[in-house]
Amino acid sequence: MAPKLALNGLTKRFGNLEVLRDINVAIERGEFISLVGPSGCGKTTLLRIVAGLEPASAGAVLLDGRAVREPGGDRGFVFQSDNLLPWRTVFDNAIIGPEVAGRTGAVEKGRIRDLLRLVGLEGFENYFPRHLSGGMRQRVNLARALAIDPDILLMDEPFSALDAQTREIMQTELLRIWEKGRKTVLFVTHQIDEAVFLSDRVLVLARRPGRIQETVEIALPRPRALAIKRTAEFVAYVDRIWRLIEDDVRASVIEEHA
Amino acid sequence: MMATIETSPGVGAAPRPQAETPAPTRLRGLHFAGLISILAGLALWEFLSRVVVANALFLAAPTQIFAAIYNLAVSGQLWPHIAISAAEFAIGYVIASALGIVAGFAMASSELGKKVLQPWISGLYATPTIALAPLFILWLGIGIWSKVLVVIFLVLFPVTINTEAGLRTTSARLIEMLRSFGATPWQIFFKLSLPSAMPFILAGLKLGIGRGLIGVVVAELFGSRAGLGRLISQSADAFNMPELFAGVIILAVAGIVMTAGFTWVERVLVPWTRD
Repeated sequence: MAPKLALNGLTKRFGNLEVLRDINVAIERGEFISLVGPSGCGKTTLLRIVAGLEPASAGAVLLDGRAVREPGGDRGFVFQSDNLLPWRTVFDNAIIGPEVAGRTGAVEKGRIRDLLRLVGLEGFENYFPRHLSGGMRQRVNLARALAIDPDILLMDEPFSALDAQTREIMQTELLRIWEKGRKTVLFVTHQIDEAVFLSDRVLVLARRPGRIQETVEIALPRPRALAIKRTAEFVAYVDRIWRLIEDDVRASVIEEHA
Repeated sequence: MMATIETSPGVGAAPRPQAETPAPTRLRGLHFAGLISILAGLALWEFLSRVVVANALFLAAPTQIFAAIYNLAVSGQLWPHIAISAAEFAIGYVIASALGIVAGFAMASSELGKKVLQPWISGLYATPTIALAPLFILWLGIGIWSKVLVVIFLVLFPVTINTEAGLRTTSARLIEMLRSFGATPWQIFFKLSLPSAMPFILAGLKLGIGRGLIGVVVAELFGSRAGLGRLISQSADAFNMPELFAGVIILAVAGIVMTAGFTWVERVLVPWTRD
């Protein structure tokens, strides 16, 4: 059987700059995959190409064996900044995907209500984004992506703007929600412990050009509680990945401050 | 549910109650300050005109002005003036708003539209078109249409410019969000660009109120049979200062009321631009 998602020889250039070189990955249905790497390694670009928001310079994105180039209802994107429409309520923001596809019937509305309950927003349906905390807005962001019932969730550093405690809560929440539906997830983050905590596999990217340096299997039992972050195994995984990217991170930090 | 704890303190407190409960008391105080300021100004004005200037030929006192308004109203002379000016303003304003919004759309949505319209908009916006009023009167006669044209010229440009600016500032991130759901360009326009441009469009329309009122009066000063501008110029010719000020005050009140009305419309239509 073809993998759920396959990236075959994906390459991306912006002018002369090679951002991604020859990315090859096969992701099985229901896998939770994280992409980590220093800034400038092209991890967000990779996610955007899978989403169809950005064309690849070479190579292909295969979803169930079929090439995708445009955005579609089979992929739900969770954005780094929540990107909620300020004039829409929580409910009306969450339903925008189905609405764009012309589905706003009673069944759909019921489903959105269920989803909002799932992400912990019951009772907040009629609130406007400006009345919500950052954590809650990211819940809407997640519910909005789930609302189109995608095969794959593409998550672009969704918790990076949250404070440390909220972020940890959101990580456990995400796992709780994911356990319910076991969607295939491609999760971009620069937080190594977040990647280890959430994922079945962590793809470690190197920079200039962005390429997969190593794939780390995370053999921690599920369901995972936050306490797992303090186990020796967990720390060993984080340490190993950190050592893989350390030099690259240093290089990128120096570059940014030069 | 344990996990929602993070959300409850931040959010449960944030909505309406917190934002609006303390406001009324503070606002009442502010209204009060405004009222006192106006009353003090009127008192000073009354004092200056009665005691210092003491000549109704040069400055009419507020009491004399309100008496003049009352007399004009009771005698029935006032209403035709108001009706004519209101009609000139309303017709010109509505036409200019519609044209301005359409032109703004055209400029924002097509490069060709922008190239074709931009030089005219920039040129005419900076031109004191009000100086053309005598020409319009020559072309269209002394009736209301020459004034309507002046109003159109004055209101059109702020509306066009703001509409275009509003549509152009549509957030690229939000466009991308809608694209990720497979939205068509039309859907992006109606679900995103238009609502996000609304605050700008309304601001343009609000600017147009003051400009339109000035246009009506100045155009009437150049030549008219009736209207508040006509009332003002008649009164000036007759050295009837109370009636001259009566016209000015009515226009000022109209401007204030319409602008306040717009502020209310903004609160209803684009509430997300507050707080």
